[in-house]
Amino acid sequence: MSLEKGKISNFQLSVLIVGFTLGSSVIISPGQGAGHDAWIAVAVGLIEGLFIAWIFTAVVKQFKDKTIIEINSLVYGKFLGKCISVLFIWYLFHLGALVLNSYIRFFKLEIYPATPKTVGLLLLMLVCASTVGRGIEVLARCSIILVPLTTLVAISDTFLLIPHIDLNNLMPILDVPIGKLLLASHGAASFPFAETVAFLMVLAFVDKPEKGPSAVSRGLLMAGFILIMVVARNAAVLGQMAAITNYSTYLAAQVIDIGDILTRVESLVAINLIAMGFIKISVLFYGTVLGLAQVFNFRSYRPIILPVGILMVILALTNTENTFDMIDFANKGYPIYAISFQIGIPLITLVIAKLRKLPQTGGDKV
Amino acid sequence: MKRGQRFKIYVAIILIIMPVFLSGCWDSNELNKLSIVSGLGWDIDPDTGEVTLTYQSIIPSEIKSSSSTSGGGEQKGGNPLHTIQLDQDTGSSPYDVLSRYAQHGSRIPFYQHTQVYVFGMDGVQQGIYPFLDDQSRNPVSRPNVLMVVSETKASDILGIQDGMENIQAFGMAAEIKLSAAFSKYPAVTVLEFQKRILSKTTAPIAPIFGIVEENGPEGKKIQKIRITGTAVFQGDRMIGELNERESSGLLWATNKIEKGFVIIPQASLEIVQAKGKIVPELQGDQIQITIEIDEESNLLEYKGRQDMTSDILQELEKDQAKEIESQVMAAVEKSFALNADVFGFGEAVHRKYKKEWKDLKPKWDDIYPRIEVVIKVKTHLNEIGDINKALMKD
Amino acid sequence: MFRLLSKKMRRWQTSNSNNQTKAQQKRSPTYLSKNLEENLQILREALGQSSDVVIRDMKINSNSNVDAAVVYIDGLVDRDLVNHDILQPLMFNLQLIKDNVSQNHSSLIDFIKSSVLTVGQISGTEEIDAVISNVLLGNTAILAEGVTQALLIDAKGWEARSIAEPTNEVSIRGPKDSFTETLRTNTALLRRKIRDPRLTFQSLQIGERSKTDVSIAYIKGVTPDNLIAEVNQRLKRIDTDAILDVGYIEQFIEDSPVSLFPTVGTSERPDVVAAKILEGRAAIFVDGSPMALTMPFLFIEGFQNPDDYYARPFFASFIRWVRLVGFILSIYLPGIFVSLSAFHPELFPTQLLVSVAAAREGLPFPVVLEALLMLMLFEILREAGLRMPRSLGQAVSIVGALVIGQAAVSAGLVGAPMVIVIAGTAIASFLVVPYADVGALLRLIMTVVAGHLGLFGMVIVQLEILSYLASLRSLGVPYLSPVAPLNLSGLKDTFLRAPLWAMDSRPESLNSPDTRRQSPGKMPQVPKTNPNQRDSQ
Repeated sequence: MSLEKGKISNFQLSVLIVGFTLGSSVIISPGQGAGHDAWIAVAVGLIEGLFIAWIFTAVVKQFKDKTIIEINSLVYGKFLGKCISVLFIWYLFHLGALVLNSYIRFFKLEIYPATPKTVGLLLLMLVCASTVGRGIEVLARCSIILVPLTTLVAISDTFLLIPHIDLNNLMPILDVPIGKLLLASHGAASFPFAETVAFLMVLAFVDKPEKGPSAVSRGLLMAGFILIMVVARNAAVLGQMAAITNYSTYLAAQVIDIGDILTRVESLVAINLIAMGFIKISVLFYGTVLGLAQVFNFRSYRPIILPVGILMVILALTNTENTFDMIDFANKGYPIYAISFQIGIPLITLVIAKLRKLPQTGGDKV
Repeated sequence: MKRGQRFKIYVAIILIIMPVFLSGCWDSNELNKLSIVSGLGWDIDPDTGEVTLTYQSIIPSEIKSSSSTSGGGEQKGGNPLHTIQLDQDTGSSPYDVLSRYAQHGSRIPFYQHTQVYVFGMDGVQQGIYPFLDDQSRNPVSRPNVLMVVSETKASDILGIQDGMENIQAFGMAAEIKLSAAFSKYPAVTVLEFQKRILSKTTAPIAPIFGIVEENGPEGKKIQKIRITGTAVFQGDRMIGELNERESSGLLWATNKIEKGFVIIPQASLEIVQAKGKIVPELQGDQIQITIEIDEESNLLEYKGRQDMTSDILQELEKDQAKEIESQVMAAVEKSFALNADVFGFGEAVHRKYKKEWKDLKPKWDDIYPRIEVVIKVKTHLNEIGDINKALMKD
Repeated sequence: MFRLLSKKMRRWQTSNSNNQTKAQQKRSPTYLSKNLEENLQILREALGQSSDVVIRDMKINSNSNVDAAVVYIDGLVDRDLVNHDILQPLMFNLQLIKDNVSQNHSSLIDFIKSSVLTVGQISGTEEIDAVISNVLLGNTAILAEGVTQALLIDAKGWEARSIAEPTNEVSIRGPKDSFTETLRTNTALLRRKIRDPRLTFQSLQIGERSKTDVSIAYIKGVTPDNLIAEVNQRLKRIDTDAILDVGYIEQFIEDSPVSLFPTVGTSERPDVVAAKILEGRAAIFVDGSPMALTMPFLFIEGFQNPDDYYARPFFASFIRWVRLVGFILSIYLPGIFVSLSAFHPELFPTQLLVSVAAAREGLPFPVVLEALLMLMLFEILREAGLRMPRSLGQAVSIVGALVIGQAAVSAGLVGAPMVIVIAGTAIASFLVVPYADVGALLRLIMTVVAGHLGLFGMVIVQLEILSYLASLRSLGVPYLSPVAPLNLSGLKDTFLRAPLWAMDSRPESLNSPDTRRQSPGKMPQVPKTNPNQRDSQ
């Protein structure tokens, strides 16, 4: 496979997954709709997410060293396989645009009201594009530096907020009806945990493929714990405001005020977000570009990076009219739309692969 | 990929980035084009419903000269009001007023450092909902800003220079926080207020500032501002007030006591630490709330002119407990009179009895005054100070 | 127009063609003739009419009184050695030569070489070009009538700077010797630090006209073989007129010639170079330069200072953190200040904002411009201070900076906070010597971006820099090792400096075949029972 020569270690994979999962969920908290029990929803969603991860890593375990594109072609035959691959690529591409969108909206709202969205989008996209062009190894190395820093900021935020945490805000536990809770959990599972299905494009490049699935689980668990902590902390600090505000982490960070000096650290949170968004968008970008190159048998994916990037920016710009639509879609439409890609494709592929007893030993046909 | 192609990509990237830099910076605002608003006042005319906003903004050049001359912005050389500037404007709604800000001066108002929001008495009695919605929605607002009610008009309070701070609103904010630290009146931030309003049963509160005249140097009358009470709201309207004693009682019950003193006929004691817990009990239809207060104190002043004995200590502890109890009781009775759940009893019941709460919540206005309140106070006298015998005996 | 530029770029890029280098395209060698005078004539023509070329006619005192000539360049040879150990044995030892010479002249030369000349390094050649180039290098040639072989003797000796204290890499506790311009002195200094027989010096001559001696130093078995092969290959590829300094070599062989960051390390201290070789790197010495190159070079090495290893671990770790934080600050501080002032005043603590706003009143320039002006001023002062004649240097640097700063504030051109920010930045920029120039450039970029796009722009640029650093490799080793890819044992010398007794193995990133550096468990311990140390006595 000459498109990507790099290899990443399992540790790097876990770190990438943590960065990816935390990507947009630190802005828009998962588990919406469960009120102050959102953290429970996230915990349940984590379990569901782990289960979904088990499914799609099983697909890769079956076919070592192959990305989902190649697997699709093997399993479904060349033509049908490529069609399904294109659908999958569309999911990645769309998700990338969605993430870009949510980031730039946040920035434009809170921090840069006057700057046109295009500017931010283009700049963010360009950084991701240049990293994608350098290969998956570089992305993994960047994440090793960025993810611990972000995690540190998230944890220290929590410490700084201890004077403002009122655990009573989290009580009573399980106040919401079970139906709503499960719905919110599923929402949390599809955003962000099961989005790690995008890693089906990356798992092929791990140097010890047998350990791949456990690395994925480790990453998800770590990210999950951090998210649970963040969501719980937001609810504890903000009380019921957490449910009605769009950006609860940011609002919680605004409360931090230690001795009049360590105050106004919400920009650290915002910077954190860019770093994590960078990782998430880069992974999605990479998956899209690599996938397209594999589907159309290009020699290299580098020429299509910029065009795909610009298209993603355009999609991000035209996607939704306003934030309300975006939140609406995120809560209602997305969990259903995403299932087909997160569970659907991997599951069906896995079943068919097992039925057809693939991969055959000797002679791969792509 | 050919080398020429790579070069073209570089050019393409440059072409993409260039517009970003060529079209100028949109959000860049030089500091000397900003007017930092340190305090915002909100008055509503009861007859016309017009809104008057008062902006207290900082004049940086005054700060510069005052700090470079002799330091300290007190009432030395010159009119202390120079460090701030007061502007007023009236309109049909808040944003109508804000749109006219440019008529006042050359600078863009900057609200991110506002320390206090002051509401005139007329305004709060009409309801401050538009303000609350703006604060929650507007990305510029911060959750830590202190809410204050004025006895008269907001503009009056914002204009009076008082104390040692060189910027008045900073002084006000510091005063509020100090009062809260000394367990007299609560300090309420916008976030607090929002949380209370969102809970349909708890009543929002805010401290009240009033103007007091005192005798100053050379026999002139000086005006100063002081906190005179705690406003009690129902929803966004003010319906009543707690006086100093009642405010303290409120603080005792809601676990907000930090420092301060307990004054009893025989002695004055210093509060070291105090905890307040609200424990609800539901028996059938009747709610009983037990307010448990646990306090530790040191003896500062003893009027008894006797040597210290453990009996006297126990007496003092009992008297302390009684005093605290009566403060809390006063607060409870006033809250019943106003039918406003300032303590958060409702939420306490909700936390413990989540199933029953669904039925109780809509009837809260009726249930609340019928709650049985039991106050249990435990006090510990830790230290008696440096002396253990009296200086003078009877 | 694009085509023109892209053609140019293509020319500069690597060419994998197998064209022979200029040096290899020389003419076929000519040989010495038996006639001494002929040879000398050729030599005189080749070496020009320079007055420092000495051709000393003489007669070898043997049975047949052979005509001979000693050729050398005055100034490059040790005259005493030539006189006593070359001329004297040839001309003076009547007894010996007479007794032992019997056969024809060709073995006269062999005899002289093996038994007469009391010099250390001696070799023979039959090619004229070899004689010419050797004489130019500083060797002495002996030609004799009737013999087609010339003897080349290493009798080099010239004025050289003595070993002095290092000027750029100052160490408080460590040794204070530094390399000089003579290759042999430098290799000797290295030998004194590493007395392992496997320490190897591989010599090359690079440079068409300068024929500079270049030595690759490594320890066989510690430095990976493919590293040595790669370095060799890169050096052999150099085809240029002259190598005047180690910097020339660096720019020809580095991994990323267009990048800001160096991928080849330099040092003027023998102990530093020795330590780096011991970790599995290779060093390159160039005659005429007091600096040595070390390859591969990782990002973290810029923060490592020899003093770190001579001091005790806690302090060393602390100082390393100071360096790291200081470096980061020196790049970001002006940018942060600019972006906070212009874009995010809400991020200042309120009292600080009031002071900064107060200082800003009445100033004519936007904050960005102020910052850029001060940064440029600082660079000008620094450079001027370096180049100025010694006598004036001190006055300009310190006084100049203070006075100008103060005057600018009083004149109302810049604000006092800005002066403080720039002053702090300036001082912090000297913390990390290898990256001082990189830092200056990055700082400028950051400030410009900050002025235009605030913190968001800064973060984007920082991400790009990070991504770029992550993609750099130095001789195959990722530049950001051991942080990324993560290598736990390598971290012992990154952010912390683990105690020496804990650093058991060589850094894994360097792929040395021999990983064990010392035996584990060598933490110093107080002996358990020592009868002489009892407290109660």
